[in-house]
Amino acid sequence: MRVDPIFRLIVTRMTLSFVSLFAVSLIIFASIALLPGDTAERILGRDATKQSLEALRLQLHLSDPAPVRYGRWLSGVVQGDFGRSLVADRPVLPYIESYLGRTLVLGGLALLVHIPLSIGLGLLAAAKRDGPVDIGMSIAVLIGMSVPEFVVGIFLVVFLATDLRLLPPLALIDQARSVWDALAMLILPIVTLNFAMTAYVVRQTRSSMIDVLRSDYVRMAQLRGLSRSRVLLVHALPNALAPAINAIALNASWLVGGIVVVEVVFNYPGLGRLLVDSIRFRDVPMIQGTALVLSATYIGVNLVADVLTLLLNPKLRTRLA
Amino acid sequence: MTASGIILADGRGQERRRDRGAAARLLRRLPLSAWLAAAILIAYVGTAALAPDISPFSPTEIFVGSPFQPPDNVYWLGTDNLGRDVLSRVLYGSRTILLMAGSAAAISAVLGGLIGMFLGYRPGIIDEICMRALEIVMSIPSIIFALLIVGIVGSSGPLVSVTVGLLAIPNVSRVMRAATQSVAAEDFIAAARARGETSLSIVLREILPNVAGTLIVEFSIRTGYAILFIGGLGFLGFGAAPPTPDWGLMVNEGRGAIDASIWPVAAPAICMAVLVTAVNLFTDGVIRILGPADTGRTA
Repeated sequence: MRVDPIFRLIVTRMTLSFVSLFAVSLIIFASIALLPGDTAERILGRDATKQSLEALRLQLHLSDPAPVRYGRWLSGVVQGDFGRSLVADRPVLPYIESYLGRTLVLGGLALLVHIPLSIGLGLLAAAKRDGPVDIGMSIAVLIGMSVPEFVVGIFLVVFLATDLRLLPPLALIDQARSVWDALAMLILPIVTLNFAMTAYVVRQTRSSMIDVLRSDYVRMAQLRGLSRSRVLLVHALPNALAPAINAIALNASWLVGGIVVVEVVFNYPGLGRLLVDSIRFRDVPMIQGTALVLSATYIGVNLVADVLTLLLNPKLRTRLA
Repeated sequence: MTASGIILADGRGQERRRDRGAAARLLRRLPLSAWLAAAILIAYVGTAALAPDISPFSPTEIFVGSPFQPPDNVYWLGTDNLGRDVLSRVLYGSRTILLMAGSAAAISAVLGGLIGMFLGYRPGIIDEICMRALEIVMSIPSIIFALLIVGIVGSSGPLVSVTVGLLAIPNVSRVMRAATQSVAAEDFIAAARARGETSLSIVLREILPNVAGTLIVEFSIRTGYAILFIGGLGFLGFGAAPPTPDWGLMVNEGRGAIDASIWPVAAPAICMAVLVTAVNLFTDGVIRILGPADTGRTA
């Protein structure tokens, strides 16, 4: 029986994701457990008392060899037990669940804005090629690529929230009284994330649109007297989308890392900020849990993006088959 | 046999002479924007080199003025929350970021380049295994691992550079491997192998000159990413240790008191943005004259 090559490719890709996830769990554990120095002392600092060091060693089972601890941690994680937070002295899992949910909401909304916005702008730049709109846009693209997202975020807060009082400065999402309140708080983080992501997709869409617009069949359509917008949207765009989709896929996986910084800028209670905070407090079980779940999200997003790119891109499909 | 041997023997010298003419021709095709970017980059490097001579104050000395002074003719960019001179900190900060980002990019270019060239030159089971391993490393979100390592070991400039450099090795390796594969099939590689040259010598003397353009582009791209990455880590408080004049750290320290004075945040932010813009423009120019390269955002 012949197996569909695409199906086989997807299965290979999924297997690779699982191997990655396993490798990531190993690296996360090792980066905390195998670093030089006494783990308990590193967590509590130099001026910790003997008793507190001893208690921590007992709690984290530090007398066991590292492979045993890794096995215990991993089997716990598989069963949904991420251990207890050292700072809050509560199970890690409920924290991760609620913080992950908020990160996914922010990331999902940012992506929802990103796709039509960046493709639309790329289309516009290609349609008005070499005109003032196009030139202005390529300058904006360059700036978007070059200004760090934390700088964009801080200045958005200063000008829009503090000076003009248009939007709430910090995403105190728990205090939101309604859905609209919550959305208003999400606007600035979403704008910041899009500022960083848009440039690359606009560039890709623009250059592939310009290529397609040069081709004979587009010229044919123009000669047949079809309206310009019809030629652009119905005839040219579908064939110019593949590089844009590729770029969006890359952005989607960038987003998982980029969101960490943006969450800190806006004080947004998501998984990225939880990771940064727990590293500051040296809350090892929380660090391990958040790092693992964030990495798993990243790997998952990459997997979905790869499979979608594969399914949506006929050229790639035939080349691989 | 002898005839071809003679051609092969002095073929390399010929190539090199032609290369020099080609380099000059290539430089003439470099777009104006890239020349402009190069000038800006030289200005940054000059500032970094001369920071001790041109800074009006020490970058770390506190209370050289009262906190949050607005810009005047003594403190051109004002003072920060500890009364340190913002201009001096920004000038010295160019040193920090160029050293850190430059060495990070150099680490990824040298190690990633070597790995990529060897893998591209020698296809087979080792190449296959290494590529899978690199894919796994690439499936790790860099920022999370940089945070883990720097956060647990402690902030320090060299550690950040090495971490950021190592994390970008797979990206460089992949591009260099692909570039090498197209060169490795050429006749002069087969000839070198027939002459009995070792793999190391073939990679360094025959392949490297032919993929040097790609490597330069990669170094340039990685420098841009490293500046943003290191800036971001500094902002999160996991970059160079305080009181180092680090632009990311300065933004972080200044943002809590941005209502009192915007300069401690704006000055390093603008410097970083201009630097990355210049690096990106320069990279674009180099890509245009050396041929396309994968510029996907993967960091």
